[in-house]
Amino acid sequence: MQFGSNKSGSGRGQFERLLKPHMPRLFRLACRLADSRADADDLFQNTLVRVYQRLDELRTLTDPASWLSRVMYNLFIDDRRRYARERLRVVEEGRLPGRGIDGLAAAGADLADVLRGERLALLQRALAQLGEAQRVVVLLHDAEGYKIREIEAITGDPAGTVKSRLHRARQRLRELLPDLLPDDGTFS
Amino acid sequence: MACLQLTDKLDDYVDGALPAAERGALDAHVAECASCRESVARERWLRSLLKDYGDAAVPLPDDEYFDAALERAAAVGARQRRQRWLMTGFGGAVAASLAFWIVTSAPLVTPDVNEVPAAGIPAVTMTLAEPRTVNLVFSAEAALEDARLTIELPPGVELEGFPGRQRVSWTTSLRPGANLLPLTLIASEKADGELLHARLELGDDGSSFYVRITAI
Repeated sequence: MQFGSNKSGSGRGQFERLLKPHMPRLFRLACRLADSRADADDLFQNTLVRVYQRLDELRTLTDPASWLSRVMYNLFIDDRRRYARERLRVVEEGRLPGRGIDGLAAAGADLADVLRGERLALLQRALAQLGEAQRVVVLLHDAEGYKIREIEAITGDPAGTVKSRLHRARQRLRELLPDLLPDDGTFS
Repeated sequence: MACLQLTDKLDDYVDGALPAAERGALDAHVAECASCRESVARERWLRSLLKDYGDAAVPLPDDEYFDAALERAAAVGARQRRQRWLMTGFGGAVAASLAFWIVTSAPLVTPDVNEVPAAGIPAVTMTLAEPRTVNLVFSAEAALEDARLTIELPPGVELEGFPGRQRVSWTTSLRPGANLLPLTLIASEKADGELLHARLELGDDGSSFYVRITAI
């Protein structure tokens, strides 16, 4: 083993080349995990910094998508633990963690858009009442289309645990949204 | 009985994850049971709403946002990587003893405890005019590119291949983990615990390490 001979500048270019295809999905994941757009921006940025520090590891991966998501998830969990400790100090001020992304996509003027916006707002409030782990799993699986095995790889939890959380999250949402109906008020 | 089965299997049924036989049985039941039909329809509605939420709640930023994020990450990441390396690799006698070994024979073997003075500076004893290979091992937490490595030798000690030079300097890169630099030294004069100075510099940061040389 001898000193390596990496040239300056190649790391930066590789970083961009390797990361760029995954950035939209990674950004969406940040939005799913974080409580607000500002927190999502921070999580996304901090993840990129962490990934840059582990560029050599990234270079060796044939499918970096899960690894990148895992890096982000671990950062998110670390932040949450820190926040949980901080929250002991701020709870007296009445500050509780926000939930959901700031604002949904703008609704149009017609009735269908207004109803859709209302339903999504109701869903967002229901999601906010789920526990952290359940909320993350149901959003990743049902809103973002992640497979169980992908969530297993991201969170490090066994597939059985992921499935059970997903099941309980949906059950809770059904309880929280008993009157939610489609536009025409029927299911048939 | 079938209503209870559907309640238990609702997730898998809607996900299409049931074995064919089980699914067929539940299909038949759902076709006949209005209550279960509504449960299935409600569940499918909830799923479509969640999917809609996924699409609606995350408007993606433009390329400019992503480019700026990459730019910041590369700048901050490189700075932090340098700082962490400097802190962990050369942050004092204890850290140095972990990060930097001196080996007098086989590579990657920690020195004989008797050769390490209490001050924590590794030491090597040489015989005059006999080449002695000293292996310096730098442990880097992450890759370091274009670091400047300078070796300053005590008087009367030379680096093989560089006769008459007391100071040899070059640019190198370190891989993550242990990086071995074998230095073959030749002493032409007696030395009594003189210091060999190895200095690594990266940008504006730098750190030093010393090896005590005795030549008899």
